[in-house]
Amino acid sequence: MSDAGVIHDIGYQRYQGPRLGRRAVFSSLYQHGLRAAFGFGRSAKSKIFPWGVAAIALLVAVINAAVRSQTGTWLFDYYSFADSMSWLVIFFVAIVAPELVSRDLRSGVLPLYFSRPLRAFDYVSAKVAALVTAAWLLLGVPQFIMFLGGAFTTKTGMKGVWHELGLLLPGWAYSLLWALVFASISLLIASLTGKRAFAAGGIVAVFLMTTPVVGVLSVLPSDTSRHLAGLASPMSLIAGVEAWLRGRGDLGIDVGDFGVIYGIEAFCLIFACLLLLLARYRKVAAL
Amino acid sequence: MSTVAYITVRGLFGRRRALLLLPLPLLVIGLALICRSVGVDADQWGQAVVQGLGLAVALPVISLIVGTGVLGSEVDDGTIVHILTKPLPRRDIIIAKLLVAAGVSAVTSAVPLFIAGVLADSVKFGLALSAAAAVGALAYSALFLLLSLVTRRPVLLGLVYILIWEGLLGRWVSGTRVLSIEQYVITIADKLAPTSMLAGKVSVPVAVVMALIFAIGGTLFAINRLGSFSVAGETS
Repeated sequence: MSDAGVIHDIGYQRYQGPRLGRRAVFSSLYQHGLRAAFGFGRSAKSKIFPWGVAAIALLVAVINAAVRSQTGTWLFDYYSFADSMSWLVIFFVAIVAPELVSRDLRSGVLPLYFSRPLRAFDYVSAKVAALVTAAWLLLGVPQFIMFLGGAFTTKTGMKGVWHELGLLLPGWAYSLLWALVFASISLLIASLTGKRAFAAGGIVAVFLMTTPVVGVLSVLPSDTSRHLAGLASPMSLIAGVEAWLRGRGDLGIDVGDFGVIYGIEAFCLIFACLLLLLARYRKVAAL
Repeated sequence: MSTVAYITVRGLFGRRRALLLLPLPLLVIGLALICRSVGVDADQWGQAVVQGLGLAVALPVISLIVGTGVLGSEVDDGTIVHILTKPLPRRDIIIAKLLVAAGVSAVTSAVPLFIAGVLADSVKFGLALSAAAAVGALAYSALFLLLSLVTRRPVLLGLVYILIWEGLLGRWVSGTRVLSIEQYVITIADKLAPTSMLAGKVSVPVAVVMALIFAIGGTLFAINRLGSFSVAGETS
């Protein structure tokens, strides 16, 4: 009997090709996540929901561009487009976030992933990046259609196109903020359960139940609580950041002098969610 | 039949996910307490808490989690086979599961609504709210139980119903309100204890009859579906 722990060489050929490192794992996880978000490489059934949501957003953008080119007035500008699509974004992340992380938990592939040169940081950042990109595309592509509509019907030539571009780029940045906030919160919730159904319900519940809190806090008899009410819900938090950065008081949310707090909270919220996600994946159970 | 009910209850509460049911009721009670203790006029916060949070979010979301959980999770896990192979009429299985789902969601949503109603107006308003919530829980549970049999993605379809149909369309397109359980609940509560906080937008007979149709029709159709249920693998 041989020594314990010896692996016998029974003559199989060794792998001598190149070994891809962490970066390759990261990029394939990212690509796979982005494809899974829109149901590419899956059956037609799993394309229904993400593409249904995307179709509504695109339709609204096309109608908006058409109305604008005919009458010259906006139904929404680039910012309020993102705001008015908030329900769709909630629904989209509720579909996609469980698809990205809960599926891995359920099918027990995490121990396999982490036996590769992949760190928890790579896994989390690939998933977050995929969901942020997907949610940003959901808002950014319709905004680009609105831009095309505006750019082709402009009356002032190239100057009009540049002016339009100057409106589009901050709009894209604003959509990126939406995507970051929604992606980090929803991935954190989805990473807690392996059941996609429960994860989707939990995500929607969190976003929905915070909205009435804002309504209640804003009727409390104190100016401070009225100005800070928007902090309670992610949607009004983002609107508050917009009101602060653009110095506007007519956006349906009154931030008073506390605008900077909205900015700080948005940053801390994203950061805290990402840290918690990392902590979540420090240990993964092997089923 | 009682064994099916017992297994269902244990499946609901035996695991950590039962904790998902806690935050929503606590939030309803907490917000009502805060507003009451600060001394805001009930007309200002009543609608936001009772209708905006309680009836539009807490009741449907709790019913969705419970209603799809009682049968949907068994379908997902494949344990439904063990129940189906027992010499039990499919009717009894559906009715046992429906009663558990409706009971659990009625209790978890009616209790916080009762407390919020008492804090907002009067005991009568609280009782009206909890009675209406119980009716709503029954109708929602039947609908979501049915959804978990006719589709493999019951929660997403249920969310479409709650978010898009009741939330988005129900606000602007008046015709969709006739098929919105949330509006029946509001109408029934408003009829039992008229206040300025709730405004029923469908007539009372429509609300009662349609709620019954949802409950009974959903149950009958679910029994029919379970009668010819085929067990399949995980959705792709």
